[in-house]
Order: sequence, then C-alpha cells, then structure tokens
Amino acid sequence: MNCSSEDLKAYFLGELSSRDKAPVEDHVHACQSCREELDRLKLTQTALLALEEEEVPQRIAFVSDKVFEPRWYQTIWRSGPAMGFASAVILAAAILVHAFGVQGFARPAGAPPVTATVDTAQIEQRIEREVNARLDAVVQKAVSDAQSKQAAEFAKVLNASEARFESRRKADLATIQQAAEYYEKQMNRWLVASNDTRAGQ
Amino acid sequence: MIFREVEDRDLIAKARRGHVDAYNVLVSRWEKRVFNYLLRLVGHREDALDLSQDVFLKAYQNLKKLEDPAKFPGWLFRIAHNEAYSLLRKNRPEGELAAEPKTGGETSGRMFPMELTLAVQSALSRLSDDQREAVLLKVYQGFKFEEMAEILSCPVSTVKSRLYTALDLLKQTLAPVQMGGAE
Repeated sequence: MNCSSEDLKAYFLGELSSRDKAPVEDHVHACQSCREELDRLKLTQTALLALEEEEVPQRIAFVSDKVFEPRWYQTIWRSGPAMGFASAVILAAAILVHAFGVQGFARPAGAPPVTATVDTAQIEQRIEREVNARLDAVVQKAVSDAQSKQAAEFAKVLNASEARFESRRKADLATIQQAAEYYEKQMNRWLVASNDTRAGQ
Repeated sequence: MIFREVEDRDLIAKARRGHVDAYNVLVSRWEKRVFNYLLRLVGHREDALDLSQDVFLKAYQNLKKLEDPAKFPGWLFRIAHNEAYSLLRKNRPEGELAAEPKTGGETSGRMFPMELTLAVQSALSRLSDDQREAVLLKVYQGFKFEEMAEILSCPVSTVKSRLYTALDLLKQTLAPVQMGGAE
C-alpha cells in the first residue's frame, strides 16, 4: 500500500471497516511519514477537544409555552370519561341517522325512485313529534311515580298515627279502670264503717 | 448507550402522543449539544440560543414526520443545520457564505480565556462555514460520514472533501500551539 492521505484520515476518524483497517495499520507501522502525519492528526484532535462545551445560558423550557400545550381535541382524546361520552353521542347520532336513513330510502319494488332532495322541514317535524311523544311519556311516568310515592307515604303516616292513637286510648282506659276500682273500694270501706257506727248506737 | 437510545425512543413515542414532559426531557438531554453546535457555527451566543429554541420547536412540531426514532440525533441536527444556514444567509451577502475565511467573531477573545481554547476558536473561525460544520459534526458530535451526508444534504464524497480540507487547515493553524504546548 502507498501513502494515502485520504485513507489515513478515514482510518484516523474511525470510518474504515475492519477489513480496510488492517492494510492501513500495516502501512503506518512501516511508514515513518504516515506515522508522523497520524500523530499530527491526533494532536490536532486533542487541541480541538480542548474546547469545552458551554452551558446553555438559559434553559430551553417548553412546559409553559402555549404552542406546546395539547390542543382541545388532544385533551378530549386523552380524557376517558369525555371520550366515553363522545362515543355515546356519536353512536346515538349514528343510530338516529340510520333509522331515518332506512325509513327514507326503503321503498317497495317498482315504486318510482325517490328524489335525492331532503325535506328538512318534514324531518324536523318528525323529530319534534318523536321528542314530544317521548317527553310526554317520561313526564307522565314521573308524575305517576310521584303520586304513588306520595300515597304510600301518606298511608304510612296514617297507619302510624292510628297505632299511636290506639295505644293511647288503651292506656287511658286502663287508667280509668284503675281509678274506678280505687273509688269503689273506698266507697265499700265507707259503707262498712257507716254500718258499724249505726250498729253501735 | 443502548439504554439511552431506548429511553430516547420511548420519550419520542410519548412526545408524539402529546406528552410535553417527555419532550422536555428530550430537550434537556440534547439542548447543550445543539446549542454548542450552533454557537460554534454562527459564532454568536444570543443567535445560538434563539436558534436552539427554534430547532426544538420545529422538532416538536414535526416529530410525527420522523420515520425512525433511532435517527433522531441526525434528524435534529439536520433541523439545526437548516436553521443556522437560514440565519447565515440572512446575515451575509449572497456568495459570501461559501468560502470566506473568518478572522474571528464574537466567540474569539471573549468567551474562552485560556490560550489553547482561544487558538482553537480562532482556527475554527478561519474555516469556511461548510468546513467548520463538517468538523463540528464529526469531531464534536461523532456522526458518521453517511449521517453527516444526510444532515448536510450532500454526497458522502463532499463531506469527506470538506472534512479532510478542514483537518489539513486546522493542522497547520494549530501546529504552533501544539508545538508550544509540547515544549
């Protein structure tokens, strides 16, 4: 191998494959000028590496930078409950569209083709009727439930009052009975005493 | 090194999903290298800092375009190269960019007090921008010729030519310093 500045530099910079490295190493071992050239390259590199890296004057921070904040759709995408809600809304919309689509596009065989125009007023009326019907049903059910609950509570309070009244009445009767028995005994004592007095006279 | 690559890849994947914190970690790992590369290339601290901000901003905005996360370093320095050359073209008249030897910019004399570092800084500033960048990418950043060719958008032969010429010039310029240091 002859002296080759390019090969020597490629060898020095670590760009040669192991197969290409061996002949260069053999040549450098045998060639005084190439050995000196390699030493000069090493010294140059050592001098270059003496230049130390500077610290960054101020931190390159992006946390507070608006441009790095996630967009609103990224925030929603990362929010589980919100995504669940969004999925439910999309599913409901899909069902609604499908329902109206089936009714709108289904036609008997032989029937004239339906024009592609969409009667939005008709759809709005249909949605309004549907919404009103469902709303009425829901309100009616809610009122019925409330009335049943109120009646049940009233019956419960009434039963409790009746029980309290009955209990009180029994207690009063017992008291009256005891008082009557007491007065009856007293009366008998007075009668006996009165009879004894008459007999002594 | 392998662990570092894996970690960088994980951070890139997270940053792609919008995790700003992951990207901040990535920035903290690379900001010093990118800043010093730009500083030595443009020779002005404030410009280097502004360019570093721009580089990391553009990198974040284009992270999804990075096909292979393992090539992140080269891709990042490609952005840095483009940003630096946009500034250099803006600051200098047409045609002056390619090969005018500099006689020393703001970096010489003020930033590095020691004699050797001054001499090295001066020697680097005498190279053309292309030659200096080749030295920065190879000697300081350790990129391979193929990676440098991708960063600089030029053939490998051009990379070699710039680098070998730069090494010859540096060898001559720094010879007295080396000899002086050896004495």
